[in-house]
Amino acid sequence: MASKLKTAAEVVATIPDGAHLALGGFAIARNVLAVVHELIRQRKCDLTLSQCVMGLDTDLLVGAGLVRRLMVGGGSLDRFGLVQCVNRARETGEVESLDYTSLSICFSYLAGALGISFIPIKSMMASDVLDRLEHGPGRDLVRRMNCPFTGEPYLLLKAIQPDVSLVHVQVADEQGNCQIHGPRWENEEQAKAAQRIVIIAEEIAPTSLFQQHPTRTIIPAHRVEAVIHQPYGAHPTSVFSCYDYDSEHLKLYVEHARTREGVKRYIDEFILGTRSHAEYIEKAGGTRMIEKLKADPVLGY
Amino acid sequence: MEPVRTNEIMAVAGARELRDGETVVVGLGLPQVACVLARRTHAPGLTALLEIGVVNTNPIDTPVGLADSRIFHGATCWSGFLDILGMNLHRGVVDVGFLGALEIDRFGNINTTLLKDDTGKTKFFNGSAGGNDVASLAKRVIVIMRHEKRKLPAAVAHITSPGFAGGKSRAELGLRGGGPHRIITDMAVLGFHPETRQAMIVSVHPGIRVEQVRENTGFPLLDAESVPVTPEPASEELRLLREEIDPKRVYLG
Repeated sequence: MASKLKTAAEVVATIPDGAHLALGGFAIARNVLAVVHELIRQRKCDLTLSQCVMGLDTDLLVGAGLVRRLMVGGGSLDRFGLVQCVNRARETGEVESLDYTSLSICFSYLAGALGISFIPIKSMMASDVLDRLEHGPGRDLVRRMNCPFTGEPYLLLKAIQPDVSLVHVQVADEQGNCQIHGPRWENEEQAKAAQRIVIIAEEIAPTSLFQQHPTRTIIPAHRVEAVIHQPYGAHPTSVFSCYDYDSEHLKLYVEHARTREGVKRYIDEFILGTRSHAEYIEKAGGTRMIEKLKADPVLGY
Repeated sequence: MEPVRTNEIMAVAGARELRDGETVVVGLGLPQVACVLARRTHAPGLTALLEIGVVNTNPIDTPVGLADSRIFHGATCWSGFLDILGMNLHRGVVDVGFLGALEIDRFGNINTTLLKDDTGKTKFFNGSAGGNDVASLAKRVIVIMRHEKRKLPAAVAHITSPGFAGGKSRAELGLRGGGPHRIITDMAVLGFHPETRQAMIVSVHPGIRVEQVRENTGFPLLDAESVPVTPEPASEELRLLREEIDPKRVYLG
């Protein structure tokens, strides 16, 4: 069977401006930064991004001016700070932010993954979260209905089916079978809702690994379009069982992201100033940094 | 023994709100500390769920947030949002939701989304994440936060996570969960009046006067008949907190 291995540059070249991308990161864990950097290098613009909990991946794309719309449950960089670029863009109106909740984004992905056009939910009611959606850009995405069996009032959410789902995993084979080690937040339903699934893997293993532990396969190969092999592809965020988050680099980013000029300087130096993820890793600290962050095999961090 | 600190009083008050055998959805910080303390004392059968997909974490190193691998350690199950917030919370089996807040008002409505400054300019924050879901669906909600007037306005700038919005009952609001039950602050424990659904003082911490609590609240607080003092932590609770649960005082301060 032909290998689905591609480089980040090759995959990003096939992503059109205006695409809806589902980002598989959660705050400072398993962010799809290898692809985010390449999206910035190739200046893919006018993007819609969706995610349950935004992190560095979203903040960078918004900071680079490439995002038109967000569909998200929330976001932060944990104790390192807020998603400053996202918040600034919401304040100026540069980005249209459809602010849901974690469960409602997850349910919307689930509907998309199941091929049903809407899904009922009992969250968001009687809140300003719903009010802002219903009276704003989300008005075409929510409806109300009484259950036809019980009469109970429900909110209905339109299904979300992204154009491309990007998920960073610990191990995949060349056909796209992949495993996520540790909690998987909304990655399964998020990926399976999308038209195209792109996997970024720390490690490539033979298919026989997946045949030995088939319960651990979270997305089977037949659904996957491309596999990008990128060790440290989520740096400076963490990948459980591979490496810890990089506190120093996260603090550096947060400091830069306080202003537009600052985030531009960060992007110029670390992303536009490097031609590949390997060069970025070198610039971000290279071998010494890698050794420091490498996970303890028992603890996973 | 070292004198008791306010965060320790808050952690213990939080732990004592939890009953053995209950299922709790919890965020990081003092709520997590309270859960661990409860499991080590009167509630060994407590189940703590983290929204990202962690059941009964047993961390040995202090995490910086929910996305820190340290919080995955020793769990009995790793899953995701669909399991925790869907098949537990939405399903209706979560007894307690432990939330943080930028602001909370007299009807227990929580704001984690935005604040407006005096010029009317809006500043955005973390948003809901799982907060709205928990406030909508948990059987009862407990908030732990600092007691400051600006954090306790008469009405929050934005209802991210509803309490008794507009003073209405949960049934009127169409919300399945029971709503806010306790606000634990560094000055007092607040509850909600069963009929008016407004915040009231349940107890005041040792050394704090009722007047201080009122001065630092942005709305009139209903009294209980008489105002008890929040029970002091027991020496075993303090020992557990200081020596085993948060020895580096990352959350206990």
